Amino acid sequence: MILSPCIAAGAAPARVMSLNLCTDQLLMALLPPERIVSISWLSRTEGDPAQRDLAHAIPVNRGSAEEVLRAAPDLVLAGRFTTSATRALLRRVGVPLLEVDSASDWDGVRSVTREVALALGAEARAESLIAGMDADLAWLAARPRATPVRVLGWSGVGDAVPGPGTLFDTIVTSAGGINIASEPGAPAGFDLEAVLRAAPDLLLRGADYSDAPAWRNDAALHRVLRRIYAGRMLTYPEAVYGCGVPRAAAQARELSAAFDRLGAREARP
Amino acid sequence: MSAPRLSLVLGVALVLAMALSLLAGGAGVDSPRIHFAGDVQARELARLILFELRAPRTLLAVMVGASLGLSGAVLQGYTRNPLAEPGLLGVSSGAALGAVIAIYTGLGALLPLAIPVLGLAGALGASLLTLALGGGGGVLVLILAGAAVSGLMLTGVALALNLAPNPYAAYEISQWLLGSLADRSWDQALLALPFMVAGLAMLAGTGRPLNALSLGELQAASLGVDLPALRWRVLAGTALAVGAATSVTGAVGFIGLVAPHLVRPLVGHEPARVLLPSALAGALLLVAADIATRLLPMPQELKLGVLTGLIGAPFFIALVLRLKREVT
Repeated sequence: MILSPCIAAGAAPARVMSLNLCTDQLLMALLPPERIVSISWLSRTEGDPAQRDLAHAIPVNRGSAEEVLRAAPDLVLAGRFTTSATRALLRRVGVPLLEVDSASDWDGVRSVTREVALALGAEARAESLIAGMDADLAWLAARPRATPVRVLGWSGVGDAVPGPGTLFDTIVTSAGGINIASEPGAPAGFDLEAVLRAAPDLLLRGADYSDAPAWRNDAALHRVLRRIYAGRMLTYPEAVYGCGVPRAAAQARELSAAFDRLGAREARP
Repeated sequence: MSAPRLSLVLGVALVLAMALSLLAGGAGVDSPRIHFAGDVQARELARLILFELRAPRTLLAVMVGASLGLSGAVLQGYTRNPLAEPGLLGVSSGAALGAVIAIYTGLGALLPLAIPVLGLAGALGASLLTLALGGGGGVLVLILAGAAVSGLMLTGVALALNLAPNPYAAYEISQWLLGSLADRSWDQALLALPFMVAGLAMLAGTGRPLNALSLGELQAASLGVDLPALRWRVLAGTALAVGAATSVTGAVGFIGLVAPHLVRPLVGHEPARVLLPSALAGALLLVAADIATRLLPMPQELKLGVLTGLIGAPFFIALVLRLKREVT
């Protein structure tokens, strides 16, 4: 469900601003940079790696209502969980605000993309992106995998893993894998003992693309993980796997290619 | 009961708890047979889990628990105050601040040793500050000083998080501050153990001076106790032991408060007699809590610091009520 208060009917908004990492990706995919006022500061490091150069060319905002009011865009895109105080203030002042959901499956991606494109006046571009997505999905469906690759995702800190009903799950399944966190009886979190027992073929670790130091770095990985999953641990861009943009289908193709490389390496003696 | 006998009983209980810890995992308690039955792969997996996951975790639980228990007993003897413990005196928060600075300035990634070292520097700074502010002012002043220094240290942590360039810093540290021994490896254990052993050694020898100190500072000085040296030993030992422990586990509280109080009814109130039993009781408590976090049927793993807080905070309240009854 997308709430669309205060949208002026008729002309497409000339200048659009985005306050949320997911809506940044959609906006950069649907509109030319001249019509984008600013995107969130996170897009330059945590967003889709393929859009990183574009993100550096567009001004960034820190999500504050003051920045929005000073820029005076024709439309603001935010997520459902963008700072509620900011969203409430913008609504009260009468700024046109569109709150966008994340999607958790391919139909969801199509509907979210179309609804945002309708508000932006970019329906044609949206249809071409969705056509590309459908082509990727058809390519993947035409190459079913004999033995699905067992995969576990993990953000790298804490013990949250993407489970059933998430877009991660959908992407992994489309790429010909199984998300072991969706299997019945799977442990609820990332517990090393449970991971070693479940023995997934591949571990997907959420990447941190900013160079800023963090607790979750490679050296902090448990030595057992480094030893047993050497060569079987990939980083993945959490932003693309968590949002719901047509690019997610291209990510599924890249994951499928990674599965192929893994299979080829293990087949070699 | 005499102190040696209680220490023996606690020691045996500790060994049993360690054995249980080596067998307990997220899926319940294993039977020792899995190391000898089944196919080669299953046996190797069982041994890997035992030696690389559970063994460092158990050893860390013992050493961290002993560090917290012993430093709690020493601080209670030194300040002659039943409510003293490393957490309440701001030592653990200081260690947390040191570790957070090490991680988010990138020092920790450059040099893994930096995290426990900065942890103990933070602990030392916080304990110096608390004892300078509140030492010798009685129960209330010391606790207030500890609360003030704790507040200062935690504000420092919040500032470090606020300014950390990494956008995930807040989530990471909120996880770390909950306190946990899950998935700790030999890398971290070997890094922190030398400091904890050094701290325990420094604290272990303070028994007789603390006995003399319980008569009063002048009386202790007249008996030949070197007061500045004792103060330095207490501070440095606590900082080494608790600082290194906190840098590995995050904020685990109340063990230092609870352990001495559990053993005092059995061995009496003489500070020297309480030291070894407190260390063993602290170790036993922490190993038991760690086993509980693995075996309790919760949808998500209960963090160690949360469990010790759930048990320790009511205990603290009961202590305060008892103190209130004695005073009024």
